[in-house]
Amino acid sequence: MNPLYNAVVYVVWFLSTYYVVLLLLVLLANRNRLHDRPSRMTGRPRVSIIVPAYNEEEDIGRTIASLKRLAYAPLEFVIVNDGSTDRTGEAVRAAVSGDSRFLFIDRKENRGKAVSLNEAIARCKGEFVACMDADSEVESDVLEKVLPFFEDPRMGAVTITVEVRGPKTFLQKVIDIEYIIGLSLFLKLFSFFDSIFVTPGPFSIYRKSVLHAIGCFDAGNITEDLEIAYRIQKGGYRIANCLDARVFTATPPTFRGTYVQRRRWHLGALQTVMQHRDVLFNGRMGMFGFVIPLNFLLAFSGLLLFYSSLYLLLHRLWEQLHYLSYTGFNIQERLLQFEIDLLSTGTITLVGVFAFAFTIVLMFLGLRAAGKSLSKKRVGMLGFPFMFFLYQVFWTGAFLAALSKRRIRWR
Amino acid sequence: MTLDRKLYLLAFLITSFLLASLFAIGAVFNTRRESRINSMVDEAYGNLRDMQTFMLMTDVYGTEMGCLAAQSKLQQLDQSIWDLGVRIDRYRVATEEFQRDPFYLDQKKVFNENEFLYLLLVSQLKRNCAQNSSVVLFFYRDSHTCPKCDDQSFVLSDIKRDAEDQVLIFSFDMDLGLTTLNLLAEYYGLDAYPCLVIGEQRHCGMQDREFIVQQLCASDPAAGFC
Repeated sequence: MNPLYNAVVYVVWFLSTYYVVLLLLVLLANRNRLHDRPSRMTGRPRVSIIVPAYNEEEDIGRTIASLKRLAYAPLEFVIVNDGSTDRTGEAVRAAVSGDSRFLFIDRKENRGKAVSLNEAIARCKGEFVACMDADSEVESDVLEKVLPFFEDPRMGAVTITVEVRGPKTFLQKVIDIEYIIGLSLFLKLFSFFDSIFVTPGPFSIYRKSVLHAIGCFDAGNITEDLEIAYRIQKGGYRIANCLDARVFTATPPTFRGTYVQRRRWHLGALQTVMQHRDVLFNGRMGMFGFVIPLNFLLAFSGLLLFYSSLYLLLHRLWEQLHYLSYTGFNIQERLLQFEIDLLSTGTITLVGVFAFAFTIVLMFLGLRAAGKSLSKKRVGMLGFPFMFFLYQVFWTGAFLAALSKRRIRWR
Repeated sequence: MTLDRKLYLLAFLITSFLLASLFAIGAVFNTRRESRINSMVDEAYGNLRDMQTFMLMTDVYGTEMGCLAAQSKLQQLDQSIWDLGVRIDRYRVATEEFQRDPFYLDQKKVFNENEFLYLLLVSQLKRNCAQNSSVVLFFYRDSHTCPKCDDQSFVLSDIKRDAEDQVLIFSFDMDLGLTTLNLLAEYYGLDAYPCLVIGEQRHCGMQDREFIVQQLCASDPAAGFC
């Protein structure tokens, strides 16, 4: 093996293992506080829930139905049709008719999610503003669970557990686990050191005065839910996570759909970090200033590791084909004499096997800590340890899109 | 909120411990690899000594008694050397240090000297006992000096895998600077690497399977693989 490759493997392994071990220690140290949430709330402040929609004729009805089931009052809902080309507008009208709590903004021109959100924020009256994707459903007591967090005057936003709604395909079942661990449990752990870096689009709630103070959503950013979290942190406000409140969101059933979605997310992450590069290693930002660069360092080094491994694998394959060309491709005998010898395992292979095993351990611990039934997640658990490979594909797509200056929008 | 500094330190210690454990397991594997190679080398040397004894017996007690034993030992010896070569090749993939380890370099020198001794014994066996295995001498250098040597080695392994003990292949590492091997190289007038000697004919430069099989069959048309 190439010594440079070995060095990359060890560095990536050490960084990623350190990161995960640190998070597991945080989990261990706070295992009794994971599901804690403040219960007292002063008064009953008005809450506005904004749902921007673009071509969501199939899902918007279910989303509105879940909003109608919310027990909390006083409430108002703002649905924004962002120039849909399908029958979203009609579906919204049918679903909200007769309910005075709903305000429907039906725009003919598609101007993007952030613009839709900002327009709704300008018109809504709530002290707190929840932003919700049009393909998501929340539990009926979500507001009762999240609003007490705002008793802390520095609390700018609260995120909740994101789960996949009715996962059917294998990919959706894998992503369900990824959401529970990555978009929920990890955000909870990050909240223990004020380092939440995203307020997920399916459902996050903000203090409206904070949104005004930081200038609402950035219309120029393709991942507005990520970008706004950076500005909330930079503004000195806090972001909490409520693990016991849940939102169920639709995810693309196919690889292609997932690839398009993740490419936008990753490209948005790059765009956001470039836009807010002043947070990197910024001591005044606390841990947030170090979590962000570590996340990117891991993403880039993972990509480097992936491509160097791929190169070595292809190189070896090419070498074998080259050898075989001298023997008239005499493969049969070679295959018949194949033998598994554990002692052929080098330290680099052990490192890879360990990383894989560690991912499995993390998955089990994560699901248990999040209070999920392992038996119901069996299918997704089979695929989750291989997500590393998918991430590299998504990151590659994002880099290629960035290099080609391709315009990617919220659709 | 900030994290307790002890957590950072503890995470660092745990990660370092895990890495050290991986290296320790790697070291255990390495030791076991060495011990397996050593036992295979011992087995090969044991077979070589036996064969040497049998050949001396043919001189002292006549060919009838020694030849039968020597021929049967030749199969064992050839198999043990082949297995050893396969194992060394497999373990080389697992550890880069393998090729730089002074222990293995010393072993390799002794092994090449014994390979030469083995060649002499086979020549004696062919002469005294009408032994009819085809013989290939393979002279090679390291892959940086001779990029095609690895290719040639692969082709010879392929032939050996099919022909088994009908073909005896003797590999000599010319980078070791052994006097015996230099004398042998001078005898055959080697001018490039890789270089093969088949039926006393020198073929320097990369040779593919078809060519080598042709040459082997030309030197011994009765061979089973022809």
